[in-house]
Amino acid sequence: MNRKNSTLALVTLIAGLTGCNATASSQVGVADPETAPAARSAAPAVEAPKTAAVHYAAKPATPAPAPADALEAVRVAHDGAVIDPADQAWQSSKPRTVTLQPQNVTTPNNLSPAVTEMTVRSVHNGQWLSILLEWNDPTKSDRLVVDQFGDQVAVQLPLRFRADAPYNPMMGAPDERVNIIQWRAAFQADLDRKRSLEVRDLYPHAHSDLYPDKVLNAIDLRAYLGAAGVDNPVAAHRASPVLDQVAEGFGSLTVKQHQEADGQGTWSNGQWHVVITLPMAPEGTNAPNLTGGDQSTVAFAVWEGGNQEVGSRKAWSDWVPLTLAK
Amino acid sequence: MTTVYNWQIGREMEYPFAEARPKKQFAMIMDTNKCIACQTCTVACKTTWTSGRGQEYMFWNNVETKPYGYYPLGWDVKILDKLGIQDVGPGPYQGKTLFEAAPEGEKVLGYLPADLDYAHPNISEDDSTGSMTRGAFITMPHMQWMHYLPRICNHCTYPACVGACPRQSAYKRPEDGIVLVDQMRCRGYRECVRGCPYKKPFFNSITRTSEKCVGCYPAVESGRQTQCTITCIGKIRLQGFISTPDKANPDNPLDYLIHGLQLAKPLYPQLGLEPNVYYIPPIHVPGTYLRQMFGAGAEQATALYRTAVDDKKLLGALLLFGATPMIIERFKVDGDTAYGYNEKGEELVRVPLREPVFMRVAFDETFKTHRSNIT
Repeated sequence: MNRKNSTLALVTLIAGLTGCNATASSQVGVADPETAPAARSAAPAVEAPKTAAVHYAAKPATPAPAPADALEAVRVAHDGAVIDPADQAWQSSKPRTVTLQPQNVTTPNNLSPAVTEMTVRSVHNGQWLSILLEWNDPTKSDRLVVDQFGDQVAVQLPLRFRADAPYNPMMGAPDERVNIIQWRAAFQADLDRKRSLEVRDLYPHAHSDLYPDKVLNAIDLRAYLGAAGVDNPVAAHRASPVLDQVAEGFGSLTVKQHQEADGQGTWSNGQWHVVITLPMAPEGTNAPNLTGGDQSTVAFAVWEGGNQEVGSRKAWSDWVPLTLAK
Repeated sequence: MTTVYNWQIGREMEYPFAEARPKKQFAMIMDTNKCIACQTCTVACKTTWTSGRGQEYMFWNNVETKPYGYYPLGWDVKILDKLGIQDVGPGPYQGKTLFEAAPEGEKVLGYLPADLDYAHPNISEDDSTGSMTRGAFITMPHMQWMHYLPRICNHCTYPACVGACPRQSAYKRPEDGIVLVDQMRCRGYRECVRGCPYKKPFFNSITRTSEKCVGCYPAVESGRQTQCTITCIGKIRLQGFISTPDKANPDNPLDYLIHGLQLAKPLYPQLGLEPNVYYIPPIHVPGTYLRQMFGAGAEQATALYRTAVDDKKLLGALLLFGATPMIIERFKVDGDTAYGYNEKGEELVRVPLREPVFMRVAFDETFKTHRSNIT
């Protein structure tokens, strides 16, 4: 059984084990769209907002010259992706201010998000598109306990750019699949620590006499590890601080089997500096294919953990035109 | 929001999803009069399910002292305070449920507990409502009182965790009504923790997802009662399945005690979740408090409980609590014996309504020795 088939079997197994939501009127596409294309037709359970897409319907069908307010990805000669927020390569790019607004279309929401604007820059080296996101945040939030949330930022790109009918900017829609790459401060803290999270990182004086991993073999242990035991991507120690994902509307966000995007973030002087970078010629079909000279769009979302922002309680931006220099 | 029917409040109400009752509904009855807060259930659950990293202060089963004990701190008084004073009387509930009271932009009225609210799982253990005055003597209900409240997830018919989750990671199983959080799908938003008034979903800070009581579903799938039920030394629990009132079967011990006799009452039914753990209310506690906690009819339940010894069928049903590890789907009382049967009608257990008494003389002729009456 190859990898894709085994994954599909696992998805089916999980669906069979868990059943569906008996009280739900419809089912969200829970299966990984990469491996279970049949799930694409599943209608999202939440009401998909169409209002935002209507706003774009009247735009001209022929690709116009790059809008004056576009975010321009400057071409730089750089060995590998530009991933360091302090890289000199950012000097060549023009900063653009992005206005963020409260997510107020679906529930739950937070109508007073803490971050209302951020500065973005972009560069590419012909192989990797990098975006630097900077915003003011006086409190660094990367400790996740029940009442503490982490700072997060996300970049969203349509899988295919349609100048005449842009995708729904709010996490896409059925047949308008978007690639959402989310950086999390808590993942960054894990990487900076250079080892997985331990209880004493959160509670320095914690004591426990015995854990299952001290007495069980790796296979028997899985049942005691909760989300980590089923390889939930938010539960495992990650090689990257970003989650490379796809979505087709609210509630459908799915972490891709094949992680290609990467990122890096630093916090200093009350400001986050986060780079999100993605390959311009991705291996899979669940990321946009980009080349120098292309036009596309990009949208952003920010979560201020200190303001209990998480999930749909967030600040988001409309599509921002994106041009890639030749 | 759709309109669904909640029999516990006797009316239709708003809920984020359409009514879709499971084929069978997991349920449990706990007799608060028999609970001694030994926490054997708590430890049985803990060692079975929550011994891992990030679960140190997580108790899917807990036993708290009422009215001043809570886990997490103040869970019930906080949500009652947020909901405000509502009209709870006989007949259909006139007040608002948590779904109907949801503020703009929310699916359910809820709140997120503070991390430290979980730090004292047995706070106020054995604290009573006050001191006894000099010369006081016991009357019913007691002038000063406390009682124990063992709690697990209520596996509600209309779970707030399911309604609140924006990703449908929390779901209700169609086969037995057990409510679970899909550990693959959860992203740790904690909307379930915020939404559940009983505060039975918990955030695991190490896996960064939410976890909750799983109703010991591997056991239930095999016809076995939950760990907290079968380990209870006071035999206060009976776990099985409940029907809706219109389909109540008097031979099902849960239907009989909940629907037939209305002896066992749901916990805070006014919140609108149709919880499926039922309590035989404590007989020594004032009625106003019982009505707030268990809804209308709580006082009638305590009055009936005091006469249980005179009703063979009722006594038989109560004696089947803790009598077998298997799920009793049907029961009968014949003569002075109560019988419990499984789904196939096979006898699981028989219990005498009165334990036989054996008198033993002090001197044992066989072994030529004296025995005290405790050996």
